[in-house]
Amino acid sequence: MERTSDERILQSSPLRKLLSRPELGSVVGALAVFVFFAVAADGFLRASSLSTVLYASSTIGIMAVPVALLMIGGEFDLSAGVMVTSSALISSMFSYQMTANTWVGVGVSLLVTLAVGAFNGFMLTRTKLPSFIITLGTFLMLTGMNLGFTKLIDGTVSTKTIADMEGFPSAHAVFASTLTIGGVQVKVTILWWLGLVALASWILLRTRAGNWIFAVGGNQDAARAVGVPVTRTKIALYMGVAFGAWISGQHLLFSFDAVQSGEGVGNELIYIIAAVIGGCLITGGHGSAVGSAVGALLFGMTSKGIVFAEWNPDWFKFFLGAMLLLATLLNAWVRKRAEATT
Amino acid sequence: MTETTGRTPEAVERTPRTTGRTPGTPERAPLIELTDVSKHYGTVRALQGVSLEVHAGEITCVLGDNGAGKSTLIKTIAGLHQHDGGTLRIEGEETRLASPRDALDRGIATVYQDLAVVPLMPVWRNFFLGSEPRKGSGPFKRLDIGLMRRTTREALLRMGIDLRDVDQPIGTLSGGERQCVAIARAVHFGAKVLILDEPTAALGVKQSGVVLKYVAAARDQGLGVVLITHNPHHAYLVGDRFVLLKRGTMVGRHTRDEITLEELTRQMAGGSELDDLRHELEKDTP
Amino acid sequence: MARFPTWVGIALAGALSLSLAGCSSTGGKRAEDARKAAAAQGRAAVNTPRWTFAMITHSGDGDTFWDIVQSGAKQAAVKDNINFLYSHDDEAQQQAQLVDAAVDKKVDGIIVTLAKPDALKAAVARAEKAGIPVVTVNSGSAQSKAFGALTHVGQDETVAGQAVGEELTRRGKKRALCVLHEQGNVGHEQRCAGVAKTFAGKVENLYVNGTNMPDVQSAIEAKLQADKSVDAVVTLGAPYADTAVKAKADAGSKAEIDTFDLNAKVAAELRDGTLGFAVDQQPYLQGYQAVDLLWLYKYNGDVLGGGRPVLTGPQIVTKDQAAALEEYAKRGTR
Repeated sequence: MERTSDERILQSSPLRKLLSRPELGSVVGALAVFVFFAVAADGFLRASSLSTVLYASSTIGIMAVPVALLMIGGEFDLSAGVMVTSSALISSMFSYQMTANTWVGVGVSLLVTLAVGAFNGFMLTRTKLPSFIITLGTFLMLTGMNLGFTKLIDGTVSTKTIADMEGFPSAHAVFASTLTIGGVQVKVTILWWLGLVALASWILLRTRAGNWIFAVGGNQDAARAVGVPVTRTKIALYMGVAFGAWISGQHLLFSFDAVQSGEGVGNELIYIIAAVIGGCLITGGHGSAVGSAVGALLFGMTSKGIVFAEWNPDWFKFFLGAMLLLATLLNAWVRKRAEATT
Repeated sequence: MTETTGRTPEAVERTPRTTGRTPGTPERAPLIELTDVSKHYGTVRALQGVSLEVHAGEITCVLGDNGAGKSTLIKTIAGLHQHDGGTLRIEGEETRLASPRDALDRGIATVYQDLAVVPLMPVWRNFFLGSEPRKGSGPFKRLDIGLMRRTTREALLRMGIDLRDVDQPIGTLSGGERQCVAIARAVHFGAKVLILDEPTAALGVKQSGVVLKYVAAARDQGLGVVLITHNPHHAYLVGDRFVLLKRGTMVGRHTRDEITLEELTRQMAGGSELDDLRHELEKDTP
Repeated sequence: MARFPTWVGIALAGALSLSLAGCSSTGGKRAEDARKAAAAQGRAAVNTPRWTFAMITHSGDGDTFWDIVQSGAKQAAVKDNINFLYSHDDEAQQQAQLVDAAVDKKVDGIIVTLAKPDALKAAVARAEKAGIPVVTVNSGSAQSKAFGALTHVGQDETVAGQAVGEELTRRGKKRALCVLHEQGNVGHEQRCAGVAKTFAGKVENLYVNGTNMPDVQSAIEAKLQADKSVDAVVTLGAPYADTAVKAKADAGSKAEIDTFDLNAKVAAELRDGTLGFAVDQQPYLQGYQAVDLLWLYKYNGDVLGGGRPVLTGPQIVTKDQAAALEEYAKRGTR
């Protein structure tokens, strides 16, 4: 009877546990896609190619993580794509116009972007309108302001370069440098991405905030009834997306020196797709940060693998759609099982 | 890996434990006492002149048809609404409840019929939702998952529920089991008063029996229970006091020794109105 | 065996018989195939090794302009025994990643557009470092040399705009409307700025949503109704010229419609006088020349342009040339 300690009881059969993991479908899909391109695409397995694939994945993954958290919390953010551009524009234009150290612009950008995120969350919890509508509004307003302010301040549609300004080299090192690890060039965004995934996983699974995120997405009324601060949790989730947008935006700025004001539109859907492929339920309450990373990786592998395989890129979206559909079906099936006895 | 149960079936307490507290000593003030309470929504009168008492170790049943004002009454006691007229005393002290959190802090826990749990979350996460124990400090403060799992399992065992796997989503449990988890949860968190909103409404006969057993178990642990139901049979099985509501007003208030099941059923089913109806129907049929 | 419901079978049979019975003697796929036969085909004219060239553009999905560039590039690829790869993305970051992927793939030559030059700087530098020759096309004449590309094949947008301004002045116009269908496109801004620079009259910019044709039409229509003094409308893309024509008719305006770029419809409208003139940047030439120049460099170390952009435009096309061009445009090479 000694081996029957309390901890042992709590474990369930490994297979059942595996099946209930949200990222299962995406991991299987990612493996399949990887093997497929490894066979079909010449040079896909080269270290430099894989590094490019990882870089492409990381630029999506950095945003997919907070978007996944938000989706687990039961909400959308359609403004996530242009918010990245806004964040980069604010940073760039503030530094340039004020002739300030670029780090000042970076800081101002962080504050303003977080404020936009807080605005989204506040409007949502205040008006109780669907997040689709609220963030669609923010999306359009940001798109307009990106173009409008840039034209107004800089006179053209892209910002002026800040590459020669004080603080640029250090900011470039933090947000956009390329490290050489074991002879392979690795973009720093990959580290940001992995860090965010680890942090988000820890928050989700090991902290009280994570419990609240699952709860507000799974059953908001129940969460409120047992004393979970629903409003605070949702606002924090939107600010998390803003934080991701800030990192992506600074990467955009410091790797390219200048920012195009019209960009970012449509990317919000890519983040959402990555999260959904990674096992996030579109209705909330279920999902994982690791899943969103796998979703982003799938995205990166497919978009670049098609180039390596010398296929017509027109088919890329088709593959993406098929994967999305499969992932969603799998998720729906999981959910049905979980709620079978309701 | 094989699943093993930590306790032998004999160790599972099937009979409810009695606590050290003597239930409902008359000289002690009731846990909750409503006197002549009323509540209006704009010009609509939702509740008028309702009085009830909840004593420790007793079950107070609130009976009424749909729209009788039962849910308004619960929301008043649970802190979701504030009453407009009358008095609300908690352990003899007149008060107003500002929020559900306020009510919880005073030991009033409510188990709602449909929003008791988050279906997709594991049982242990649901059990501690909103009151998660943590260890560590500063930014590394984290959930004490071992403790949470262990406690959940133990608390459920104490109520007589033997869950093999507290990691399963609570949505995979039966409706009765979910009610029981919610009840066990309230008991664990030191609730003095447990408000149960129609816990048997959506359940079959057998499941209802199971839930009522746990309601009795909670009572035997010294809690004061408010059981809202429209089923007089269920109420009479466990109830000590009965309050009957109709269209927002109180039409009856009895203790168990003052009333029989038949009388309770008759009053619940419409009482004298039903007699009149029967009379009328008999006249009409030739 | 999967079984189809009967009605599906009937519908299919019906559609088939209709398509057989209802043959058209003009136009359609058959006419297109006939024209295509006159276009890109043939076999390699050289016996150099089969090199792989990758072209990465900033095109969005399904842009007709880039189909013409591609067909030019493909024709040259056939002739030069080149394995030609094409990919595109309208997001600068994504386009840069596609260039990175081509470098990883160790292609033998890269053709890239520099619509958003800052974003592509690092990627082009990486290609140089890997010893892959780069030719820039279409946009980026100013940055091409600095980035280390062999040469640039394309049109200087400002020069093209200036050509339009001069032509408008020559035609005695007083007040022109420059219709920008893509907010945030630097090339578009340069075109309109070029027009304003050489045009003797006044130029006003009108921003429209290029992905929504009815919106484009109503915006132009509203502007023409509001301001009767406008006597010339310049659109920046061939598909918008036709829309402007419709808007003009609905608004009852007398303004002349002129446009950048060419397509079959524009050629036809030039011929019948609906349009005043078009400024062609000869996209076919951009694709063809880029591939051919890379081949020349690989084969013989030849570089064209002497460090200056090789201009494919502006070529002003009026009623006189239109008839000949219409046939080329129809087969998708102009």
